[in-house]
Amino acid sequence: MNMVSTDLLKRLGLFSDLTDDQLARIASLCREEVHDKDDVIVREKEPSTELYIIQEGSAQVMLGSPSLPGPTPIVHLGKGQIFGEVALVDQGLRSATVKAVANGTKLYVINRDDFIALCDQDPHIGYIVMRNIAADLSFKLRHYNLTWR
Amino acid sequence: MIYQVSYVVVGGGHPGTIMNQEERPEVGERVEFADQEFEIVEVLEIIPPRGDFAYLHATCRPVEGSE
Repeated sequence: MNMVSTDLLKRLGLFSDLTDDQLARIASLCREEVHDKDDVIVREKEPSTELYIIQEGSAQVMLGSPSLPGPTPIVHLGKGQIFGEVALVDQGLRSATVKAVANGTKLYVINRDDFIALCDQDPHIGYIVMRNIAADLSFKLRHYNLTWR
Repeated sequence: MIYQVSYVVVGGGHPGTIMNQEERPEVGERVEFADQEFEIVEVLEIIPPRGDFAYLHATCRPVEGSE
C-alpha cells in the first residue's frame, strides 16, 4: 500500500487543525484508488464502510427517484472534496451514487472501522475530524440551498 | 490560503460543483467544470475562513456555445 503524504493531507479541509503526528496516523490508514470516467465508486442504498477523498479528478453525486428512469446529478465534486462521509457518521446505507467523471480520478480511501479505532486511541483526532465533517456537510447543504433558490 | 468554492449555476437545472483551488474566484472570470464553461457573476463569503481555508460560494452562468 502506497504511503499517503501528510503534506497532501494538510491541504484537505477534512484534516484541518490536526498536528503532523496526527496526520501521520491518518496517513497510515489511507489507501489510494484510481478510477476511470464513468466508474461507479459507491452505489445508493448499498452498505457502506468507507470515506473517500478526491485527490485528483472529479466525481458526480447522483440520486435515484421512483418517478424518473435514471439517477439525477445533484452536485459535482472536485479536488479536495469528500464523499461517503454520511455513512461514517450514521453507519447507514449509501445516501447517493457517486461515479468518476474524469479518467485518472485519484481517491484516498479510509475504512470506517480503522478510523473509529484510531479515534478511540486519540479522541482529539475524532473531535477534529467529526467537526470538519459537520462543517463540510453544512457547506454542501448551503450549496444545495443556493442551487435551488 | 486554500479556497473551497461552491459553484452554483443560475437558474437551477445544473448541479454545479464544489472544489478546492489556490486562487480566489473573481467576478467575470471563467471556470470550467462538468465539461462546460461558466462565467462567474457573484462571489459570496457566507462562512468565515478557518486556518488555511476560506469558504466561498460563486454564482455563475453558462458561457453560450460551451456545452
